Order: sequence, then C-alpha cells, then structure tokens
Amino acid sequence: MTVPARRSEATRGAGSPVLAIDRVRVAYPDGPDTRVILDDVDLSVTAGELVVLTGPSGAGKSTLLTVAGLLRRPDSGEVTVAGTPTAGLSQRQRTKVRRDHVAFVYQSANLLPSLTAIEQLELVGHIHGEKASGTTARARSLLERVDLAGRADQLPVELSGGERQRVGIARALMASPSLLIADEPTASLDPERAGAVVELISEVTRSEGLATIVVAHDAWAEMHVDRRLHLDRGRLSEVGPPAGAAAQRA
Amino acid sequence: MFLALRDLRRGVRRFLLLGVVIALVAVLSTVLSALATGLVTDGISGLRALPFDRLALQEGAEATFSRSTLRGDALDRFEGVDGVEATPLGASFVNAASTSGGPNLDLALFGVAPDSFLVTRDDARGALSGEPGLVLASELEDQGVSVGDRYAISGSDLVLPVLGFTFAGTYGHAPIAFTSLDTWQQINFGGDPDERFSAVALSGGSDDDLAGPASEAGVELYTKSEAYAGSPGFTAETTTMTLIQGFLLVISAVVIGAFLTVLTVQRTRQIGLLKAMGASTSYIARDALGQMAILVSVATLCGVALGAVLVTIVGSGDVPVELNPTGTLGVAVSMIVVGLIGSAAALPRIVKVDPVIALGVEQ
Ligand SMILES: Nc1ncnc2c1ncn2[C@@H]1O[C@H](COP(=O)(O)OP(=O)(O)OP(=O)(O)O)[C@@H](O)[C@H]1O
Ligand SMILES: [Mg+2]
Repeated sequence: MTVPARRSEATRGAGSPVLAIDRVRVAYPDGPDTRVILDDVDLSVTAGELVVLTGPSGAGKSTLLTVAGLLRRPDSGEVTVAGTPTAGLSQRQRTKVRRDHVAFVYQSANLLPSLTAIEQLELVGHIHGEKASGTTARARSLLERVDLAGRADQLPVELSGGERQRVGIARALMASPSLLIADEPTASLDPERAGAVVELISEVTRSEGLATIVVAHDAWAEMHVDRRLHLDRGRLSEVGPPAGAAAQRA
Repeated sequence: MFLALRDLRRGVRRFLLLGVVIALVAVLSTVLSALATGLVTDGISGLRALPFDRLALQEGAEATFSRSTLRGDALDRFEGVDGVEATPLGASFVNAASTSGGPNLDLALFGVAPDSFLVTRDDARGALSGEPGLVLASELEDQGVSVGDRYAISGSDLVLPVLGFTFAGTYGHAPIAFTSLDTWQQINFGGDPDERFSAVALSGGSDDDLAGPASEAGVELYTKSEAYAGSPGFTAETTTMTLIQGFLLVISAVVIGAFLTVLTVQRTRQIGLLKAMGASTSYIARDALGQMAILVSVATLCGVALGAVLVTIVGSGDVPVELNPTGTLGVAVSMIVVGLIGSAAALPRIVKVDPVIALGVEQ
C-alpha cells in the first residue's frame, strides 16, 4: 500500500536534486594539525534515488551523513536540502528544515525505551505539531506497511532487533521526509533480517520518491541500487552501477 | 508532554525515590506550617480576638506593652478624630494564686473600660461593670477554675473573684483575663490610681487620619499584626519556623535539580535523537520540566495530605498544631514552584546536547 504523501509533488520531481552537497569540507583537529575528513566533496541525490556509500572505517561516512542531514555544519561549502540552501541559516532554521525534510534510520534503531512501537511514530507527529487523531491512523498504516501491525503496543525491549529496525524505518517515514539518511541500518542484524531491511528501504525509496543515502557494507552487495559511492581519504568516487541496473530501472 | 507522561507511567520505579523524598519534605513542611500556626494561636490568639484595628503605644515601646505607659492626654488626641473610636487598654502579666484550693494561674491581664468597644459580650460587660473581679479565658474553666473562686494577685494586695468566662485566647502563651481598667490600674500602680494605661486601642480611621494625632501624642501606631511582635517569644518563634521552612524549600530545590540533572545526563543520547528528529530545544525542555512538575505535584499533594492527617492526630494531644488552609496551600504551591526552579538547573544541559550524537559519531 502507499502512504499518502503530504508534500507537494514539486519537491519530489526527478529534475532538481533533493540533496545537493557542494564543495563541502570538514576537518577535525588532530593533535597539533588538522585532519581533513571531507575534502571539497560534491554529491547530489534526486527524488526516488537510492545511493549506497561505502568506505573504510574512519573514512568519514558518518560525518558526511551528519552534514547531509543538517546535524553538523561543514567548515565550508553549501548543503542544499529540498531547494533550501542552508549555509546561511540559523540553528533554529536548520532545525526546521531538518524537521520538514530529513529523516534518519540508525544502526541500532535508537527507539525511545518508554514508548510502544506505535507511540514511536506518534511522537514524530507530535513533534511536527499534528493533531493526534490523524497521527494515530497514519502511524497504524505505516506499521502495517513494515509488517508490524500486530506489534504496535510492544515496548522496544519486547521487540526483536529486526522488528526494532523496521519500527525505526516506519518512524522515519512518519516524518514524510524528502531525504532519508541511514547509517549502517543492517549492521546489527543477521543476513536474513538485514536482507528484509534492505528490501524495505529500497522499496520505500521508490514508492515514496525519497532521496536516500545509505552507508552500508555487505548486505547491499547484491542489491540493486542506483549509485554506489566510495569515500576514502576525503574524496568521494563513483563505483558505477552494477550490470543490469539500467535495465531494471527502465 | 507526549513523552514525559509515558516515561513517568512506564518508569515509575525510577521516579519513586525522588517522589518519596519530595513527599516526606512535604509532610515535614505541612507539620511545620501547622506548628507555626499553632504557636501563633497559642501565643497571641487573645490579642487577635480583640476587636481593635490599631494600637498606639509609647514611642520606643516596640509593640511591647510593658514598655509603654500612656496617660489620658494621649487618649484625648484620638477621641477627636472623625470615625475613630479610641479606648484605653492596660496589659500586663500577673500571677494569680488561688485562695480556694484551685490551680494557680499565669495570666495576661487586660484592663478595659467595661463600656468600650473592646468588650463585645454583654455578660462580660455586665460582670466588669460591677464589683472588681476577673473574667477569664474559657479554657481555664476546663482546667477546673469556676465562677466565685478567689485569686490573690501577685504584686498587689487584691484578692479578686472570678466573675465569669469569655472566649478562649492567649497572649505571650498565657491565657488572657479581663478586669476593669480601674482594677487593672490598682493592681499595677497600687493605691494611687493614676490614670495610666499601656496603650490606646483604636477602631476605624486610616493611617492618614491617625498619623497627626499620633505624633502630637508622642505615640507610635501598630496594626494588629504588628502588635503581635510584642508578645514574648512571638518573633523568635515565627522567625525560627520561617527559617526552617525556607531551608526545607532550598533542600527540595537542590534535590530536584540534582535529580533532573542526572536524569538529563542519562538521557543525553535520547535528547540528541529528539533534536535530530527536529524537536526544538523548547519542546524537549517543556517535556522535561512538565515531567518534573507532574512528579513534584503528585508527590507534594500526597505529602501534604499525609501531613494533614498527621497534624490531626498529633493535634488532639498537647502539641500546639493547627491546620491552616492558606498556610497548607502555601506549602504545596511553594514546593511546586521551588521544584520547577530546581529543575531549571538542568536546562543548560538540555540546550548543550548536540544532535550529532544521534548518529553515534561522537561516542
Ligand atoms: N568530533 C570529532 N572530533 C575529532 N575527530 C572526529 C570527530 N568525529 C569524528 N572524528 C573522526 O573523524 C573520522 C571519521 O569518522 P566517521 O565516524 O565519519 O567515520 P566512518 O566512515 O563513519 O567510520 P565507521 O565505518 O567506523 O563508522 C574518524 O577518524 C573519527 O575519529
Ligand atoms: Mg560511521
């Protein structure tokens, strides 16, 4: 089933990118010197596109995601989300852009321990200032969508790792984002569960017309994705779509 | 407070300890407040019950009757003021020894003109207009004193009969007694019944009306509650009680602030997550403060209720406790306010949390 999108189709149109990263640079102090993690990185992701990002540990993949998701200001460069350039925005304005357009899926699901599965989703509606009645209906249909309708009233401790991660994905969708950012969403799952999560993320990317970036390793190897990028020594390089992707896409 | 309510409900055990501590502080505060009220009643209820608005005492008397001696001219100054009634009041402490085998009494003895506005009961007015004698606070009747008992008044050679009983009341923790102003003057100044008394009791009139006559007469004006301060022990008792209650409030603020600070540190990751989800700092702060407000309110109300029960039980004995609705409400409100002030100590920590930690980059 398809969850009705609240956002205007304009921002989802394939043409203009949902995320545009332009000459972004991030450096951390490293003893007396600085270590450049992102060295004038460019990246753009359009609606409905699934990008997988790989790279050695410590390469800066998570850092790139925090910059893309407006959690961190780059030292220089511009990050445009859903048409809004963010470099000149105040912290408050950046929070608003993030609330309206960006959602995250975390490695460890990151659910709130005192909320049931459905409440995890309702909280998003509450933060967005939505009416409780509509929120509950939408939350319920999203849980159905990730096959957890029967587990709506369970607390996180009562859910398996795979179930928690699916609640995490449903929660991300609850925000009706344009940009979905996932940092190793399958790392703590066994291959079978991981496969299901991969499948789900790739499916909602298309059905919801999301721009999705996933940092991932193995579980995504055979998966059809639009683009594979590799981050190493501060540089981003295209790995090239696997054979047959173009055919599948058509 | 979407999150706060569910967090409270599902994590009751985590909040129980703080709740119990707050409730115990509330119990203690309620009992103290009742004790403060009780001590006031035990100290000055007799003076409080007299129907005057202000007292004029000799300059420098600091509300203390024994330091004030006035003469008729002071009275004359006030009698001319429109809308003001003025009457002389004598006040002193005496020891009365029973000559008929009854208990000996320490009395706060008021000398009043029988026909003045200070005497409100007809039976008392009648009794005081006749032969010299005492009209006693009613609680003395319960202690075995009866009408007709005779009492030798220390410091004088008078032996006075008990003429009757009036309302219960005390001054300086001694039961009050009334006698006619003439008799009071005879007790205090002996065979030379000079027209001396302790204070002018005033009814009606405003500060402006009375200021002129007061300065002409060389007296100072006290409102009724200012006059309580002259009762022996009154200021010390009320100051001590206020101080202890203040300390309790400070302690609860610190305890609550420390608790929420620790809780906030434990919740750092959760707060980062909420910020990453787009929650504003004020959304998170409202949630945290709301949670503390609920917790503190519930605990305080339980504590106050328990305290009230305790006061009722203790109050049936000899302890001078008295439940005072305004004071008890004040305890509840101030505990809740102080709880919020204490909680505010944790706010900077909420502000400081960086949403980046939601992605687990910096750990
Ligand atoms: N706040 C910080 N201050 C200094 N160094 C940092 C900070 N945050 C991250 N780093 C460093 O930046 C580098 C990139 O970190 P990042 O977490 O982005 O790597 P990653 O590619 O996600 O690695 P992994 O695959 O292990 O998750 C690491 O060497 C890390 O130690
Ligand atoms: Mg990482």
